[in-house]
This record gives sequence, C-alpha cells and structure tokens, in this order.
Amino acid sequence: MEALGPLEVSVMEILWSHGDSNVHDVTQRLGRPLAYTTVMTTLDRLYKKGLLGRRKADRAFFYSPRWSRAEWEQKRAGEFVEGFLAAPETSGELLVSYLVDAVGRYDETLLDELERKIRSKRRELRRKA
Amino acid sequence: MTLPYLLRLLCLCFACFFLLHLAIGAAVSLLVPAVLHRAERMRPRHATRVLLGVRLLPPVISAFVVLGLCAPSYLLLEPAATNEEVGWACLSAALLCAASFVLSIYRGWSAGRRSIGYVRYCQLVGRQERLPGENTPVWVIEGSAPFLVLAGILKPRLIISRPVVNALPSGQLAAALRHEEAHRVSRDNFKRLLLVLTPDLFPAWRGFVRLEKEWNRFTEWAADDDAVAGDSQRSISLASALVRVARMGACPQTAPLVTSLLADNQDLAERVERLLREAPEAEVAERQPLPALIGGLASIAVLAVLTLQPATLSAVHRLLEGLTR
Repeated sequence: MEALGPLEVSVMEILWSHGDSNVHDVTQRLGRPLAYTTVMTTLDRLYKKGLLGRRKADRAFFYSPRWSRAEWEQKRAGEFVEGFLAAPETSGELLVSYLVDAVGRYDETLLDELERKIRSKRRELRRKA
Repeated sequence: MTLPYLLRLLCLCFACFFLLHLAIGAAVSLLVPAVLHRAERMRPRHATRVLLGVRLLPPVISAFVVLGLCAPSYLLLEPAATNEEVGWACLSAALLCAASFVLSIYRGWSAGRRSIGYVRYCQLVGRQERLPGENTPVWVIEGSAPFLVLAGILKPRLIISRPVVNALPSGQLAAALRHEEAHRVSRDNFKRLLLVLTPDLFPAWRGFVRLEKEWNRFTEWAADDDAVAGDSQRSISLASALVRVARMGACPQTAPLVTSLLADNQDLAERVERLLREAPEAEVAERQPLPALIGGLASIAVLAVLTLQPATLSAVHRLLEGLTR
C-alpha cells in the first residue's frame, strides 16, 4: 500500500468523517481553495490505489472509503513491516529501485483536461499578440 | 554509573542536545501549521527558505547551546580530577541522542550512496551531449523509460532519457531544462541531503514530515518560477512539457537526492494550473554575501560575549550538575 500525500490524507479524513461524497462536496469541505480538477485527480488516484469505492449517480461519481481508518492503519502497518523485513538490499534490487521506485500513472482524463486548458491559453495569447 | 571526565562531558553534551532538541522541536512543530499557512501567501522561493529555516532551527539552536554554553561551562568549572556518578536519566537521554545521530548519519550515507550510484550508472550507460540551443551539456540515456532529472549533490548533472528528448519540441525541452537548471542553481539536492541528515526528534521518529513535503512542493514551484521568469510563452511551454512527460508515464522519483521534472505526481494539476493562471515571476536574487556574513559573525560574537559571562556559565553548570544526577 502506497504512502499518502498531505492532500490525499485530507481527502480521506473528509470521507471518513462524512462518508459518501462527490468531487464537489470534497472540494467544498477542504480547508483551502483547490481546483476542481486537482480534487478530482486525488479522488481518482485514491480509487486506483484501492482505498476508495465509487458509484455513479446523476452523471457524477460518489466516493466512499473501502476501509475504516483503523482497518487502513492496521493494513498499512502490517504491509510496511512485512516489506521491510523481507527486503535484503541486493545490488539488483538497488538498481531496479533507482529506475522504478515510484512509477507515476496519471489519469488520462485529467491530462486531456490540462491539455485543453493549455490550448485555450495558447489561443488567448495569440489573440492578444 | 561512574564515568571519567571527558566521557562525562560527551554524555552531558548528548543528553543536553537531546532534551533541547526535543523541547525546541516540539515547540516548533506546534508552530508548523501557522508557518505553512503563511508560506502559502509567500513567493515560492521565499517560502522554501522559510520552511528550510524552520526545519533546521531545532538542531541548529540545540547545537549552538551545547557547544557555546554547556561544553565551555563544564570545561571551565568542572574539576578535572573527579570521577562522578552519572544518573540513568542522563545516560538514557545521551544514548537516545547517539541513536538519533547514528540513524541520521546512516540515512544520509545511504541516500548519498544511492545518489552517487545512480549518477555513475547513468554515466556508464549514457552519453554527454549538447542539445540544440542549449549551453549546458546533459547526459542522455538511451532506453524506453521517460525521465528528466537533476542528480548529484556537489556537482549535479542533468540527466534525460532519449524518449523525452525526442518527444518534446525545442521550446518545451528548453523550458524543462531551465526548470532543472533552477534546481541546480539553488542547490536543492544539497538541501535535500541536509534534511536527510537532520537528526530525528526521537530515534526513528522524524516529526516534520508535513513540513518537508511542503518544502518539496514549494521547491518545485520556485523552480517553475525561475524557469518561466514571467514569460507567458515559456510558462505555456513548461506546462505543456509537464503534461507531455506525464502522459509518457514518467517516473516521478528515481532515487533519493535526485530531483525529477515531475517530482511529485500529486502536484501536477496544481502546477500546470498555476503556470497557466499567469506566468510567475522569478524572484530577484538579493544576495549581499559580505554584509550578511559580517552581520552573522557580529551576532555570534555578541551572543558569545553575553553567554560566556561567569554568572551565565555557573548557572549552566548548576543545571548540568542537576542533569547528571
């Protein structure tokens, strides 16, 4: 199980305390102003990590935690210890760890959305020029 | 336990450092949320300086007090010929401090070793090239993994994989390289090593994880600002480069003490949106090394004169006596 970043933890806290929520709900409950797409990616990433379940209703995804906080912490601690004890650092593993320590997989929808924004900004600049 | 003079000094220094570091660290960690809140309103480069300063504050102050007060008061006021008992509380604090030091040194050594290994590996399989339109030579690695990193601590090198060179148009490649160059100029890998070497508040408990993560985020933003330097075209080029490299499935982190173009995959959307909102200005460097150095030395001298007064030293010595028992 991967470690969670600060934003992911905040999102999990919201879902643990409020249960089923969509992107809009989570964005509103977060303490700081964040873009809708940022929250959407975070929820999607948590879903892909297996921490959240989701269902579609009214053309929007509703996310809910798959484990309670206690279950998640127990699972994470167990996996960490297990991994730590079973990992003698051989040179081969070291080399692999250099290259594939953390492979980032990005949500294609988000990348499309970002590219659309870039194109729009580029057009805007051209018009101004 | 009875210890000889110098060993008792070492034990006291370690114990004092541990207690001070724990107390100052706990106080600073209470201030962290407020500091992070303020940092959100600062320019990223300034925020990185503030956060790094806050993170290094507990060990620096503790070391200053131990070396500037505790050690001199012991050496000047403790009779050299005595063999005194050292209590278990003092001994335990000293051992915990020693454990923290050993752990942080091991962490730094291990990260440094992996970083050097990574650079050597890249130099072994790669080739140094001067890319079109670029002044600084970069190491180009053949293969399918897409990455663009700055690796190395004292002499950082730009390392880029062939798929990234081929995929990015010249403007985007230049923007991405300028981003990594900004990390090199601000010595971010060396600062990362400093953070790794900072001792834990308690052995194996770092206590400032959030602060360090936020420092990482601001470092990326600061490098973005330096790369863009207020130019809208560069801003768009860098945003496009980020998205394009992300679409290639780049490795966000390859080894400790290595800075990657996509350092934190959680921050991509925020970084791109920030670049598109307005081309961020680079912070103008206001470096005046000589006055700053003179000011720093003068402050240290004044502090030394104030603290090395006989009354201060004897008060500290009494506290040390209390700690020993």
